[in-house]
Amino acid sequence: MSSLYSRDFIVTLIIMLIPLCLALNTDSYGQRIMTLSGIYAIAAMGYHLIFGRLGALSLAQGCFFGLGAYSAALIGVHFELSFLTCLLFAVIFTALVALIIALPVLRLESHYFALATLGIAQIALLIAINWTEVTGGANGAYGIPQLDLFGMELSSSNDVLIFVWVILFIIVSLTFWIMRAPFNYQVTLLKDTPEVAASSGIDIGRWRLTFFIMSAIFGAIAGALQAYTIGVVSPATLEFQVMVSILAMTVIGGKNHPAGAVIGAILLTHLPEWFRFLETHYLIAYGVALLCTIIVAPSGIFGLFEKFLIRNPGYDLKSLPSIENKAVCDANSTSLEIQGLLKTYGGIKALKNLNMTLTSHQIVGLVGPNGSGKSTLINIISGLQRQDEGTIKLDGSFIENTASYKRSNRGIARTYQTSLRSSDLNVYQAILACSSNQHNLKHRHNQTHAILRNSRLISKTGSMVGDLSTADVRELDLCMALATEPKILLLDEPAAGLSSAEQQFLSTKIRHLAQSGISILIVDHSMDFLLPVVDRLICLDQGSVLAEGAPAEVLADPKALKLYFGNSRS
Amino acid sequence: MLDISLQLILNGISLGCAYALITLGFVLVINAIGAVNFAQGDFVMAGGFLTVVLAEFMVADNFNPIRASGLIILPLVLISMACFGFLFSIIAYKPLKNRPPVTVFISTIAMGLIIQHSINAGFGPEPQIGPALISSGKITIGTLTISKQQISIILSASFLILCVGFLMNKTQLGRKLRAASQDSEMAESIGINGPRCISITFSLAIALAGAAGLLLSNQFFVTTSDGGLYMLKAYIAVTLGGWGRLDGAVIAALAIGLFEVIMATLVSYVVAEALLFAALLLVLFFRPSGLFAEVVQRRT
Repeated sequence: MSSLYSRDFIVTLIIMLIPLCLALNTDSYGQRIMTLSGIYAIAAMGYHLIFGRLGALSLAQGCFFGLGAYSAALIGVHFELSFLTCLLFAVIFTALVALIIALPVLRLESHYFALATLGIAQIALLIAINWTEVTGGANGAYGIPQLDLFGMELSSSNDVLIFVWVILFIIVSLTFWIMRAPFNYQVTLLKDTPEVAASSGIDIGRWRLTFFIMSAIFGAIAGALQAYTIGVVSPATLEFQVMVSILAMTVIGGKNHPAGAVIGAILLTHLPEWFRFLETHYLIAYGVALLCTIIVAPSGIFGLFEKFLIRNPGYDLKSLPSIENKAVCDANSTSLEIQGLLKTYGGIKALKNLNMTLTSHQIVGLVGPNGSGKSTLINIISGLQRQDEGTIKLDGSFIENTASYKRSNRGIARTYQTSLRSSDLNVYQAILACSSNQHNLKHRHNQTHAILRNSRLISKTGSMVGDLSTADVRELDLCMALATEPKILLLDEPAAGLSSAEQQFLSTKIRHLAQSGISILIVDHSMDFLLPVVDRLICLDQGSVLAEGAPAEVLADPKALKLYFGNSRS
Repeated sequence: MLDISLQLILNGISLGCAYALITLGFVLVINAIGAVNFAQGDFVMAGGFLTVVLAEFMVADNFNPIRASGLIILPLVLISMACFGFLFSIIAYKPLKNRPPVTVFISTIAMGLIIQHSINAGFGPEPQIGPALISSGKITIGTLTISKQQISIILSASFLILCVGFLMNKTQLGRKLRAASQDSEMAESIGINGPRCISITFSLAIALAGAAGLLLSNQFFVTTSDGGLYMLKAYIAVTLGGWGRLDGAVIAALAIGLFEVIMATLVSYVVAEALLFAALLLVLFFRPSGLFAEVVQRRT
C-alpha cells in the first residue's frame, strides 16, 4: 500500500517540477504568471481537501483567501515585521475565523452549508468595502512591503517564483501526509456514505473540522502570498470570482487528487494568455471548461490521466506474510440490554416499550411484517437514529446517547439493507478504511487480510466497490463490519438477493462468528435462511415484541402464526 | 408623513414582488431536481438585458417612435426566456441527472459564469435602463401620490404568481410537474414523461426569472454583475420560507424586499444587506434545518 502511495507522491512531484523548470528559463513575465499558478495551487489544495475529498461544497474558500491577503497586508503595512511573521499572523487569524464559523456551519446539510459559507463571504466583502479606516475601502491598501526571507529581500521574479513553489511543495507534502493510508480510504467512505462511515467507527465531525480548518489555512497562505507579490490588496480578492476560479481549478484539474489542484491552477492561470482574443472575458472560457469537465470527465484531467495511464493493482495476498487465523473477537461475556425503547414518527409509534437482550455466542433472529419497527430498532442501536425514551446498556454502561462512531468503537457494528456504496474504493481499501483506529497500520493490513481470507471476496480484492454484484456487496458489508472488531453485530437483511449457495456460505460464516464470541442480531424475511441459523427468534409487531423464544416455540405461537398466515381456521 | 411611508411600503412590496418571482422559479427547480440553480440570478440579469434590447429594437421599427412599454415586451421575454430555460436544462442538467446534486450546483455555477461574462462581453459593465412597464407617471388619489410603475409591477407580478399557483394546483400539466418533482421514476411508471416535465419546470423557472429582470430593469437598472445578489436573495428566501415550500418562499421574498427598502431608507443599503446575511446565519445557527420544517423528509 505504501508503495502505491509514494508512487502517487512522485507523480505529483513530476507534475510540479516540469512546468516549474520550464518557467525558470522564461522571461520575468512568464515567471510572474507561474508564481500566480503556485499561489492558486495552494488555495486549490485546500479546496481539494474540503470539496474534493470530503464533498462539502464550501463557498468560503475565496473568503479565506481574501482574509489571508488582508490580514497579512495590513500587518505588513502598519508594523515593520518580516513576511513570515505576517504570514503566521494571517494564518492564525484566518484559522480562528474558520473555527468560529465551523461550529455552527459544519453540521448543516449541503444546501445550507453552501449558502451559509456564501453568506459569510458576502459579509466579509461588505466589511472590506465599507470599513474604510482599516481596510482602505474600495481602493484597498497600498504599500505592502516586498517579500523577504530571514532579512533578505526577494526582489527578482526568479526568487519569488522559487519561494512560492517551495511553500507549495511543503503544502503538497503535508497534504499527502494527512491523507496517508488508511485515512484517505476513511475519508472516501465518509464522503460517499456518511452513515456507513459513522457506524464503522469513523468520526465525521473531526474530519470535517480538520479539513475545513486546513482549507482555511491553505487559502490564507495563498492570499498572503498574493498580496505580497502584487503589493496591493483590494476587495477584489474577496469577490465571488476568486471563489469560482479556485473551484474551477480544483474541478478541472481533478478534485480527488492533490496533483489535480496543481494541474488546474497552472492551466487556468495560463488560460488568459493562451486565449488573448477573449481579453478580459476569459471567465467565459473558465465557465465553458468547468461545464465540460463536470459533464464529460467529473474526476478532471488528473482523473483521466489516472484512468488511462495508471492502473490500480490488485492485491496479491499470496505474497503477504501469513498470519495465524485467530478469532476476530475474544470477548466472552458481552451483553446488550435494551429497556423501554420508544420511538415515534409524527403520530405513529414505531417502537413502543421494547425490551430485548443480546448475549455473546448467541444468534438472535428478528422477524415481523413491514413497518413493525425492525429497521428502526437497528438504526437506534447503532446510533443512526435517536430513541424518544428508553435505555441501551452495553456491558453495564449506558450508550443510548453516544454518537454512532463511538458506539462502533465500543463494539457495535451493523450492515445495511440498501447498499449505497462508495465507488472510488476497491474491496481491500473499503475494508481497511473500517479497521479499528486503535491498531497500527501493519496490524490493520494484517487484519484486513485475515478477514478477506475467510471471505468469498478473496478473489476480488482489487475490484472497485461500484462494480460488485448485489451478493458481493452484502459480503463486503459484512467484511467491513467485521473490520471494526465488533462484539455485537447487527445484520439488516443479509440474505436478500443471495442465491441458496451464497446463503449457505453466509449461514456457516455467521455460525463461526457466533462461536468466536460475537453476539449477532439478524433481521430477515427469509425463514428458510433464518430458522436453521438462529438460537432465538423474536417476533415484532407494531413496535413491540409479540413472541420470543426458540424458533420452534415462536412458530407454534398462535399470535405469531396469525400475524404471518392470517386468520385461517383450518 | 403617511404619504412617504406608504410610498416606502409600495416600494418595498414592488421589490419584494420581483424577488418573489425569482424565488418561485428557484424553488420550482429545487423541488424538481433537489439541487440549487446558481444561475437563476444571471437569468434575471439576462431577462433585463433582453428587455433593453427588445425595447430598442421596437423603437427602430419606426411604427411607434417612443420605446415600447414593458407590458408589451413581457410576453416576448417570457417566451424567449422559457426557451432558454429548456435549453439550459438540456445542457446543464440532463447529462448530470444521475449524479449527486453537488455536480448540478457546479454546472449551474459554470452556466452562470458563461451567461454573465458573455453578456458582459457584448454590452460592457455599464448599467442599462429598461422601459417602464406602462408609463412613468404618478397617480394621485386624494392626498396620496403613487407611482404608476410600482403599482404596475405589483399587479403584473401578482398576476404571474397567481398564474403559477393556478398552473401547479389546478391543471393537469401542473399535477404532472409536481408528480415528476416528487419521484421522477414513479411518475414515469404511470405514463408521465419525467425528463420532459423537469425541462418544462426549468422553462417556467427561467421565464419567471426573466420576468423579474424586466420588472426590475426600469427602477434598478441592469448590470451584468447583478446576478449573484439576486440568486442570494432567492436562496435566503427559500431558507427562511421553508425549503421547498412555494407559499413560504413567496412570503419570505416579499418580506425581504420590504425589509431591504425600509432599512436602506432608514439607515443605509449596506446595513440592510449585512443585517439580512446576519439574520440568515442566525436562523441557520439556531435552526440548522431551516426556519420551518422541510417538506420532504429523508428516509434512512
